[in-house]
Amino acid sequence: MTNEVLVQAQDLCKYFKIGGGRMLHAVEGVNLEIHRGETLGLVGESGCGKSTLGRTLMGIYKPTKGKLLYDGKEVDLSKKKERFAFAKKAQIIFQDPYASLDPRMTVGSIIAEGMEIHGMYDEKRRRERVAELLDIVGLNREHANRFPHEFSGGQRQRIGIARALAIEPEFIVCDEPISALDVSIQAQVINLLHELQEKMGLTYLFIAHDLNIVKYISDRIAVMYLGSVVELAASDELYANTLHPYSKALLSAVPIPDPHKEAQKQRQIIDGDVPSPINKPKGCAFSSRCPLACDKCREAAPQLREAAPGHYVACHLV
Amino acid sequence: MAERVLTIEGLRVSFDTYAGEVQAVRGVTLHVDEGEVLAIVGESGCGKSVTAQTIMKLNPMPPARIVDGSINLAGHDIVKASDKEMQKIRGNEVAMIFQDPMTCMNPTTQVGKQIVESLKLHKHLSGAEAKAEAIRCLEQVRIPNPEERAKQYPHEFSGGMRQRAMIAMALSCNPKLLIADEPTTALDVTIQAQIMELLAELKDKINTAIILITHDLGVVAGIADRVAVMYAGKVVETGTTDEIFYEHKHPYTEALLHSLPSTDQGKREPLMSIPGTPPDLLAPPKGCGFAARCRHCMQICKEEQPPEFELSAGHKASCWLLHPDCPSAEERGAK
Repeated sequence: MTNEVLVQAQDLCKYFKIGGGRMLHAVEGVNLEIHRGETLGLVGESGCGKSTLGRTLMGIYKPTKGKLLYDGKEVDLSKKKERFAFAKKAQIIFQDPYASLDPRMTVGSIIAEGMEIHGMYDEKRRRERVAELLDIVGLNREHANRFPHEFSGGQRQRIGIARALAIEPEFIVCDEPISALDVSIQAQVINLLHELQEKMGLTYLFIAHDLNIVKYISDRIAVMYLGSVVELAASDELYANTLHPYSKALLSAVPIPDPHKEAQKQRQIIDGDVPSPINKPKGCAFSSRCPLACDKCREAAPQLREAAPGHYVACHLV
Repeated sequence: MAERVLTIEGLRVSFDTYAGEVQAVRGVTLHVDEGEVLAIVGESGCGKSVTAQTIMKLNPMPPARIVDGSINLAGHDIVKASDKEMQKIRGNEVAMIFQDPMTCMNPTTQVGKQIVESLKLHKHLSGAEAKAEAIRCLEQVRIPNPEERAKQYPHEFSGGMRQRAMIAMALSCNPKLLIADEPTTALDVTIQAQIMELLAELKDKINTAIILITHDLGVVAGIADRVAVMYAGKVVETGTTDEIFYEHKHPYTEALLHSLPSTDQGKREPLMSIPGTPPDLLAPPKGCGFAARCRHCMQICKEEQPPEFELSAGHKASCWLLHPDCPSAEERGAK
């Protein structure tokens, strides 16, 4: 891992129109840097905008406001050519291995499609590449002629990984790649992602809600709440020295698969639900559930600032 | 001595499909006592939900078929019970909470009314009494403003709130047994923590027996008294929560626990994964169901099903490694 910044978000916002002139603020003013070769974990509850941020960072969505920089250069997604070139570098692995593979295409053509579109290699070499990729992700070469429905969930996820790797990207967004899989299969996929990173020097943005897994796989972790990053730190630091009240509640809510530790743990339960991203509370987004919230929190939204070296937090009280 | 609420013996359930007979449950023996939480863990397709549904006879028969075995729930013989008898037992003796609370409620009926319905039916309360009782139930699961909330429809509730309402509904008639089938899988961690806390509190308060079906071992560690680990339609190991987490003897239990990253695990240390996938229950293996994925697999594992070995009172595991004549790891040429 180097400190060279590969992907950078500057004040990135993504709003969706939802009719009646209203806007859903999915991602709100996110500043984020992803270093080359690292795994950045992105955690948060459903609806907090983590998937939207992931998709915006790899160019599926065009940001409403703010800038997306890749390798130091701004990516202008409104230009078709630039979007096309960016797609070659950034790929995504989706959560649902059932919905993300075209049921009418063979596995071979699913994996080769990206290479065809980007005009990589000739037909014969592409077929070889498909076979190589199937080897890399732990499937058989013969599987290229089969259809997705013939595979189990874990195997399909491997096909999804092979497809993402086909065009030799540098940056991969893993959008909850394991949450649809069984525990024993999860470990297989995690180990595979690890191996590939070491072999090919990939950079991952790893989106998940399973915090044990995120801690295990990530170098740094960003915690999101209602469209904003509330805390960002190296993963050990985040667990050892949690600063933001939301991160604290989130981490303490995670059940530990160890009865003795679980019995000792002081659980901090936060009441209520995540507010709607359509009518966000004024001030800090977490103020409506925060046990420490004061008047200042309800008035002004805190900015992300460096509280300790490499440890960023957005809270008035830290 | 706590009263035994549920005894299942040698239960076998099959589904007749066009492709053949799917042996979803292949001989399950379980019991639950009053005020106890039994967790059933296992991967998808291991038969844990089918076992639970069979206790309430919720799976349509046909295609489902109870091939063999007995289920005794608070003195009722479930296998022989008619549809009419089952209607009395459901709700009254046993109730269930499902994974997705949205699909388990009637979207066109007020939440309060849905609770009133079962109270009138099972407890023979009058309209006003049932209404008051329904509000008390909602209050018990800590729904704010229960009077107002009772008049709302399920879509006006958030996910966590709906799950609370489901619990209120399930507990309204004081069942002896509550089956919670993945109650928190669809919820976020902070909401999950709220619901698990609520379940633990209710368990102490009303002394119901709870069967918790889950694949999340963290949830199990927090609430369960005993655990049954299922694999390919069978219970492979059962014991107290401590026995399962710290003194497990079955290789599948071990693999399952080690495939999770522990909090103090070193980075980049590969997780112990279980190679392969679970067997096809259309044609279950002749021997041990786990043999094909087990790293200790011996010849006998492929040929004969392992019997259950009792390791200590209540701690049982089905594995040939526990047989007294089993050669030691060195003799087997440990892998």
